[in-house]
Amino acid sequence: MSLELTITAVLTLAIYSFLAGDNPVYRLVEHLLVGLTLGYSLVVTVRSVILPQAIAPLGAGEWGAAVPLLLGAAMFLRFYRRLGGWSQIPLAIVVGAGAGVALPAMVKARVLTQMTATVSGAQTINGIVILVGVIATLAYFVFSREHTGIWGGITRGGRYFMMIFFGATFAYTVMSRMALLIGRLEFLLGDWLGLL
Amino acid sequence: MIGRRTVFVLLALAVGGALLLKAGLPIGISPSTQEVFDAIEALDSGSVVMISFDHEASSLPEVGPLGAAITDHCFRRGIPVVGLALFSEGTAAGYDLLGRRAAAAGRRYGDDWIYLGFRPQYTAAILGMGESIAGVFAADYEGNALETLPLGRRVATYDDIALVISVADGSMPTYWVEFAQARYGQEIVAALSAVMVTSFLPYYEAGQLAGIVAGFRGAAEYEQLLNAPGAGTRGMSAQSAAHGLIALLVVWGNVQAWRDRRRKRREV
Repeated sequence: MSLELTITAVLTLAIYSFLAGDNPVYRLVEHLLVGLTLGYSLVVTVRSVILPQAIAPLGAGEWGAAVPLLLGAAMFLRFYRRLGGWSQIPLAIVVGAGAGVALPAMVKARVLTQMTATVSGAQTINGIVILVGVIATLAYFVFSREHTGIWGGITRGGRYFMMIFFGATFAYTVMSRMALLIGRLEFLLGDWLGLL
Repeated sequence: MIGRRTVFVLLALAVGGALLLKAGLPIGISPSTQEVFDAIEALDSGSVVMISFDHEASSLPEVGPLGAAITDHCFRRGIPVVGLALFSEGTAAGYDLLGRRAAAAGRRYGDDWIYLGFRPQYTAAILGMGESIAGVFAADYEGNALETLPLGRRVATYDDIALVISVADGSMPTYWVEFAQARYGQEIVAALSAVMVTSFLPYYEAGQLAGIVAGFRGAAEYEQLLNAPGAGTRGMSAQSAAHGLIALLVVWGNVQAWRDRRRKRREV
């Protein structure tokens, strides 16, 4: 039972103390976690990106590296009322380039390929269920027509499909959260106390 | 009525009890896990697999066993692994995991595995590697220039990568599909935390993902296929105990609610 493991175990128990109710120990460890995460991300970014991709090239006389560095620095001008307008330039580049790059890829991967697979896959029972589910769910979100009669039956079907999806997603969420609990208990019982 | 604190204690007892008793339950292999296993099994030893650790440190208990099982499979088959991270938090976790599994398998850094480290702006990083991996990662995580590493010299673009595996706890595999699969035809596998499964099943059904392996269940299945029980198999027993308890509590809660309603109707 090393000091390192004991510190980790105490911090784990401090976080779980929230289950009994909010308390200062929990809040202290929560702030510690947020601070550490932010600090770690900052160090990784500086070490992996800023130093090798901006500072080192500048040191080697590659002045082109100054352009992204200056644009990045301009983002911080938002904090100054008089100079805040300059931050719009890097923001516009990020939004414009981001949208330009993402839109065609998104339309292809999320819409066209998915639509093709939905329609062409309707040759098996699973495929037919998926096709019916997609049509009924989309119908549910057509609000320009009253959900009555046959149309109402289709939209009710869409609602059931969504409820099944939400139920499955929630069950998977429970599964994920349990995995985190198991990981911590495995650490406490095994690594720390040596019972496993 | 059972209070929430009682539920917490019962869950801790169920999970802790299953871990202490080392209860083993039979686990079937789901088709998607089998497909991931088969995809790696079908690669020849000259192929290179890229594993991207696209997760936060908090999800390590769940995605760690997945990454470990897949890495073990690659090393067992003599397939070199190129690691990287598109979330800053996954950077050290991925490096640590690959290093430990490589040491256990007797694999050498530079020849059998390399770790590229972290790049922000995942869209640019994924797209950029389609043009030039060295253009995005001029040096590895340890600061070595990529051309000084034998494995680094072998991988120029996605053309040299047989399979990309995104070990993720969020939506990062979506971007791998959009920018590496759709644009460059790169085969992608998602090793996910269970909470993300329903979001990615449509991509798997449409053939945009070569396979999905998810959660403790996926890790346990994979370990079974490797015939090497590990953290996933241990966790699965505890998870089954927790799920059994939750199912019992849900049924018990509904029975209580039904009895309350009936009592109130009688009182009226």
